[in-house]
Amino acid sequence: MALINIASHEIHCKIVYYGIGYCGKTTNLQYVHKSITPNARGDMLSIATETERTLFFDFLPLDLGTVHGFRTRFHLYTVPGQILYERTRLAVLNGADGIVFVVDSQAEKFEENVQSIAELDMHMRRIGKDMSTFPVILQWNKRDMPNVLPVAVLERYLNRRRVPSFEAVASAGKGVFATLRAISKSVIAQL
Amino acid sequence: MEQLTNLVISDRDLTTISSVLMRLMNDTNATSIMLIDKSGQVVAVQGSNTRRNATTLGALLAGVFSSSREVAKLLDEKDFRNIFQQGLQQNIYTSMVEEQWLLVIIFDRSTHIGLVKVLSKKASDELGRILERVRNDTTRAKSSVLNLQFRSSVEDTIDLLFRD
Repeated sequence: MALINIASHEIHCKIVYYGIGYCGKTTNLQYVHKSITPNARGDMLSIATETERTLFFDFLPLDLGTVHGFRTRFHLYTVPGQILYERTRLAVLNGADGIVFVVDSQAEKFEENVQSIAELDMHMRRIGKDMSTFPVILQWNKRDMPNVLPVAVLERYLNRRRVPSFEAVASAGKGVFATLRAISKSVIAQL
Repeated sequence: MEQLTNLVISDRDLTTISSVLMRLMNDTNATSIMLIDKSGQVVAVQGSNTRRNATTLGALLAGVFSSSREVAKLLDEKDFRNIFQQGLQQNIYTSMVEEQWLLVIIFDRSTHIGLVKVLSKKASDELGRILERVRNDTTRAKSSVLNLQFRSSVEDTIDLLFRD
């Protein structure tokens, strides 16, 4: 839920990166943090296990600066991808204005991706969001791996709503900003 | 209930909210008070100690609260409406305002938790009434800010900043 503070001239929006374990959600945020101009970002916060898997969430605040007198901020979150953390994912989804669903394109991850998208649909219905109008972007990540499914196949089975989608290799930064631009614009359009 | 798409805080609302928080801070002798949205966005802060880290604190405290609500569900408990975090020097008492905001009171050993509980309940009731007004005014106030020109300027800025 975006917060528009007329008194302090600030607009805050929340974007959540969702997807299965090891699909590259945290990698997306790390690349943004590393590559964006320093005055447009705050500190990145990660609540991770000892083995650096996301335990609760990662958090990266971005600041667009002042546009037409309003300081516009996007707060990027990731959810923990591991199956057992479903309730934690629901907690992080709370109040999201937009979602990036990161797909691990490898064939052996296909079933897990399908289950994860179904889980997201269920959560969104539960919190009363209409997925047909809610800002969602899909990212086909890990396109550099040898055993990836063709994008056409991913589109057919994972992108039933035909939302915008981007190919990515998040570890190399490819597609990361294209995804971020698309979801940010989509969120602003829905405000 | 369907979640709101956005919430618009006007000058008048923020002034009233700030005065409620300021009074609560003085009456409880708290070190800081924050009003955050349950999604983690900071609505208002009183107290200089937390102002610098307000954005991160907002995200973490809202996360803690959301997480505890999920714990409640697993225990077949309707809700945990308050959370008390006790440290050696600092304590945090977080309570829910309606279903939308979290009132966070940070206090040290010079303040008793009982006082914080009672006065935060009174302040929550007052904030609940303000929230009702904010909800009703949101659509009207929004159209004054989010015009076509604003949206297109934000898009230009996104293109400028979010690139390799």
